[in-house]
Amino acid sequence: MKSVRAAAVVILIAICLGALAGPAVAPFAYDRQFRDSPAAPPGGRFLLGTDEIGRDRFSRLLYATRISIMLAPAAAAVSVALALLIAPLSACAGTGRNPLRPVVSVITTICLALPWIFLFIILRAELPLGTGPVVTVLSTFGLMGVAGWAWPARIFAASIGRMETSGWMLQARASGIPTRRIALVHAWPHLRAVAIAQFRVLVPAYILAEASLGLLGLGVPEPLPSWGNLLRDLQHPDLIRANPWILTPLALLMVVMICLEALGSGAGEAGGNPAGETD
Amino acid sequence: MNSQPGRAGTLPRRIAQSLLSLVLAVLAGGFIAAALVRYSPGFDIDENSWNPQISAATQAAIHARREYENRLPLFYVRYVGKALQGDFGESDSLHAPVTDLLQQRAWVTVRLIVWGVAGGMLLGGWLAWLAVWPRRPLLEVTAVSVSGLLLAVPPAVLALAFFMSDAPLGLAVALAILPRVFGTMRALWSDLYRSGSLLAARARGMAPWVLGWRYVLRPAAAQLIALAGVALVLAFGVLIPIEALCDVPGIGQLTWHAAVARDLPLLCGLALIITLVVATVATIGEMVEGGEFAGEEKSLEPV
Repeated sequence: MKSVRAAAVVILIAICLGALAGPAVAPFAYDRQFRDSPAAPPGGRFLLGTDEIGRDRFSRLLYATRISIMLAPAAAAVSVALALLIAPLSACAGTGRNPLRPVVSVITTICLALPWIFLFIILRAELPLGTGPVVTVLSTFGLMGVAGWAWPARIFAASIGRMETSGWMLQARASGIPTRRIALVHAWPHLRAVAIAQFRVLVPAYILAEASLGLLGLGVPEPLPSWGNLLRDLQHPDLIRANPWILTPLALLMVVMICLEALGSGAGEAGGNPAGETD
Repeated sequence: MNSQPGRAGTLPRRIAQSLLSLVLAVLAGGFIAAALVRYSPGFDIDENSWNPQISAATQAAIHARREYENRLPLFYVRYVGKALQGDFGESDSLHAPVTDLLQQRAWVTVRLIVWGVAGGMLLGGWLAWLAVWPRRPLLEVTAVSVSGLLLAVPPAVLALAFFMSDAPLGLAVALAILPRVFGTMRALWSDLYRSGSLLAARARGMAPWVLGWRYVLRPAAAQLIALAGVALVLAFGVLIPIEALCDVPGIGQLTWHAAVARDLPLLCGLALIITLVVATVATIGEMVEGGEFAGEEKSLEPV
């Protein structure tokens, strides 16, 4: 299992480096059109050919990888940070007597009750039509981050609840250690492990979510590329048969997902989320 | 099973708390939806504003009246009041009552969800059983790999592949659900496999179906029901891209249409209905898993 994880790390690092170096490595800008070469096959000039309006697929894939690889972890970090802020409100200050507990519980239930993608679609519908691509990308992933706090918050609240009744916590309290010190020195290391696990679970979930939204045309808007909107070509079976290389973004997405999954296989056990629940 | 004295006394209270939580969740979900409608771009615009035949004073009076009527609390109370009577408003883009649209499309979605959740649970359970029970590394690796591979494919892509090859979409939903329940079922089967009572029953040479029913399904029933609730919530999320891309006239396609057309009354109605359904299922799942109906502590030992 260690060798599998090591291989996954190596592959992910290679993809991340390729994505980060995208603008320098990409032969062309992602939105540059070659009107004399629409739907060109792979060749010396265009490594993966061009799309229907003559944009280099390889360059677009590099840029798309950068967007998906960088912003999904950022959104996951936002979710985990929000969950870490909210969970103590429902779990601390004693069980059952905390007035915030039912409020946080109901809010968490609402966020868990609404299917994540549905909530996201509603919120995306609120964006003004004239919103620019960069703002839309940031709001897309920002909304993912904000909307996805509920599940990790529930996991954190459960972890904090378990800690509150644990022997070491009772002993620490009985020893007169200040609450702040207990939280920072004793509780945080436990919670940190759960937070890292949740982060690992959320990253692939957000990558998949963006892909689904992109397929629907509600993800990252053109001309900015993302894995989601590159997958839109898959809606045309004739195009796939004629140009099988348009499956490259899907293959890359699957490789990244499998690698993340290999890394997060221990995370699921630690964090509890049954494999991408925010999907 | 560890029966807890006194716990039965708190059962009605726990159920009442769960129901209160459910009602609050639905009301709050509706409030969010109403707020979205109220503050959506163009909500305040009245066509009379462009009518040159109406005087400025009359226009000001109309504006003041609309402003009063559209105060969010008042608006929300009216909206919920109408919703309780089954009136979810009228779709802006489809020019039909939201209730009618929901009724026309509900059956398609329900059928897909039932097939998807049942298929996903059965296939996931079988794959998890293969990973745990026979104790063969090759089978375990195969099962984990299949689940991992399915998890790596966006559900919409999976559905497109099924759609293009004329395969049943219910199976696509099931395969999308499978990897999302596999981990939990694998852990559940693993716990059961290690339980002392099962080992003793196997040593006594009980028939496999007795073992399966008495020592696996019955003890795990509460968790399986709760997991089915989770799978149902997941299925709702999975169905939106699947129905939209594969042209299935269900609730998911309606949601996508409402989002694309920025049809906020329709989105509101859908938000209320879906929150109600999903929150109810989630609450029942939590109550079943927590042993509220049995009044007993959750346990994997056979009943």
